[in-house]
Amino acid sequence: MMTSVSNSNASIHAMPNTWLSAAPNQLAGNHMTDIKQARSVALKQVLERGLPTVKNEGWRYTSLRSLLAQNFICTPSDDVLTVNEEAHTAIETALQPALETYRVVLINGRYAPQWSYLENLPSGVQIDSLNAVLNQSPARLAAVFTQIADTAHYPFTALNIASCDDGLVILIDDGVTLERPIELLHVSTGSLNQSVTPPMMHPHHCIQLGTGAQAQLIERFVSIENAGVYCTNAVLEIALSPRAVLRHARLQLESLNAFHITGLHLQQAIGSDYSGINIGIGGAWSRTDLITRFIGEQAHCEQRGLYLVGDQQIMDYHLDIAHQVPNCSSQEQFKGILYGQGKAVFDGRILVAANAQQTDANMTNNNLLLSRNAEIDTKPQLEIYADDVKCSHGTTVGQLDPDMLFYLQSRGLTRSQARQMLSLGFAADVLTTLAPEQLHEQVINQIERRLETATF
Amino acid sequence: MLSIKGLRANVGDKEILHGLDLEIGAGEIHAIMGPNGSGKSTLAHVLSGRDGYTVTAGSAELNGVNLLALEPEQRAHLGLFLAFQYPVELPGVNNTYFLKAALNAIRRARGESEYDAVAFMRLMKEKLRVLHLDESLLKRPVNFGFSGGEKKRNEIFQMALLEPKLAILDETDSGLDIDALRIVADGVNACRSPERSMMVVTHYQRLLDYIQPDYVHVLAHGQIIRSGGKELALELEERGYGWIEQVTEVAA
Repeated sequence: MMTSVSNSNASIHAMPNTWLSAAPNQLAGNHMTDIKQARSVALKQVLERGLPTVKNEGWRYTSLRSLLAQNFICTPSDDVLTVNEEAHTAIETALQPALETYRVVLINGRYAPQWSYLENLPSGVQIDSLNAVLNQSPARLAAVFTQIADTAHYPFTALNIASCDDGLVILIDDGVTLERPIELLHVSTGSLNQSVTPPMMHPHHCIQLGTGAQAQLIERFVSIENAGVYCTNAVLEIALSPRAVLRHARLQLESLNAFHITGLHLQQAIGSDYSGINIGIGGAWSRTDLITRFIGEQAHCEQRGLYLVGDQQIMDYHLDIAHQVPNCSSQEQFKGILYGQGKAVFDGRILVAANAQQTDANMTNNNLLLSRNAEIDTKPQLEIYADDVKCSHGTTVGQLDPDMLFYLQSRGLTRSQARQMLSLGFAADVLTTLAPEQLHEQVINQIERRLETATF
Repeated sequence: MLSIKGLRANVGDKEILHGLDLEIGAGEIHAIMGPNGSGKSTLAHVLSGRDGYTVTAGSAELNGVNLLALEPEQRAHLGLFLAFQYPVELPGVNNTYFLKAALNAIRRARGESEYDAVAFMRLMKEKLRVLHLDESLLKRPVNFGFSGGEKKRNEIFQMALLEPKLAILDETDSGLDIDALRIVADGVNACRSPERSMMVVTHYQRLLDYIQPDYVHVLAHGQIIRSGGKELALELEERGYGWIEQVTEVAA
């Protein structure tokens, strides 16, 4: 027994052997020396440091053991990722609800033009696959690709950069406002053949908004019905130029066979405005890192989130908001609903550098525990080196108020209906920021369905 | 309609109701009066099925059905309604959404068809007029940030909407100024019908100036010690509750 424990601990440290040669020459953009170089630096970083263990502060509550036990193939071949005609109906279903958007669909991490819709893009807006841009005109991404992501502190981001071959590119010129939202759909099937080792995919997205440009991005992660096991290791690099505005909804609605990792690396120039909402409902094991760096003053960042975590799920959100320049503001509000044996982690840090005077930052994390066996590890932190700032953080962990439950029951609602209604009420102020209405409804329906069938 | 026989109930080890008997016929309004701590609210809560009370003896039936064996929502489905003394605030729960869910839950349980959004809005608007409630209350979270008067009116509004067979009004007058009291009482009176009974629990007589009861009962030390017509309320107003102590001491 002791031996097996120490063995698995040791194996967590090292990168799996199959991941070591993660950067084959044919990856997109590798004909460019600087891209190839950036990839090999990233690989070297993760190889030298290994993968984090629970002894690493940022991974204290989330063990990689179950992820490594799956023996994911780090750079799966095309025949693993390609879907046959039979999966098409399931994909069509997974894409619902249909929204009025410019739509980019990635199937198993690869751009799927037949499911995508990019007609009538206004001038000054370029939306394309990362594979195409890196192979054909990599210079366009010179300011974004591998330039914003922090590979030194985020090993899975480094692994993504070493291994990525496709994803989404959005480039919006100065002064252009894109009225219709851009939709990014990650549809995954997993390995439908049980005998094939499950794939790990590395979609990588580069988003650059020019000065004063405005856009909305709706990002969804979904699985087809009866999807096999898979892991998504997504990275976003987002550069907001002065006064650019980005609204960003992120919905993780994957199956309980899914493993999910996101590293969102955001860089904000002067006067830019980012507002994100992160919905985490699906997945067996998920880890999301949201990293914001202010590089210009008067910029504003909002990150909201709602996670619903039940049996067979662990969901981990890490926020790192770095106020390195003065006069920026940020607001982070995350709420969690936990039930059954569900486990969630919230770890948020606001860093205010010595010169970042007049920073206005606030972080809250509120959790609703619907059952005794659910677990939340929450740790909002302020790290302040400036002396003239307005910063606060707060966290709560609570249960449903029996008086509220009784009130609803006395009006004819069952205990289960009352629990649903109060849970949604708890989440309401976060959920109201989720648009458009069809998405809002989809999320509410999914939460209701999950709570209806849950055990408490 | 409601038949309570020998009802005894505890909170923890302490017995609050000491064998209470009460019969309320269809369409009747009964006022339950009594000093603080006499068991008035306990009676209201035991009947509606709130946790924290243990019934040790006796029975309570609504139209022949044993209430005490039922979950709170099942009692509501049978037609029991409690207007709370302190209506709970439900942040994030939209009032309209809540009211529609409640009404449809009750209709479903009774085998009636559910209201769709349009029919429900029509019904609400009709009921709103009766209670002089501002429509904006419906768009807000349930009771959240409502004034005392708004909360009580929202309770009566729910009663009007859910059309119970037996409504228990628990200290509905508490915390209301005279104008708010009149509006609430008007709402209650608008709900009067030969098929609907009411139990009006109150400390003060003044509510009964506006909601005229058919019967008045005096509750003290967990028992009804006197019953009479509405003139009993006036007597209580005049004499206060001090004499009860003498009566119960003599009885002991």
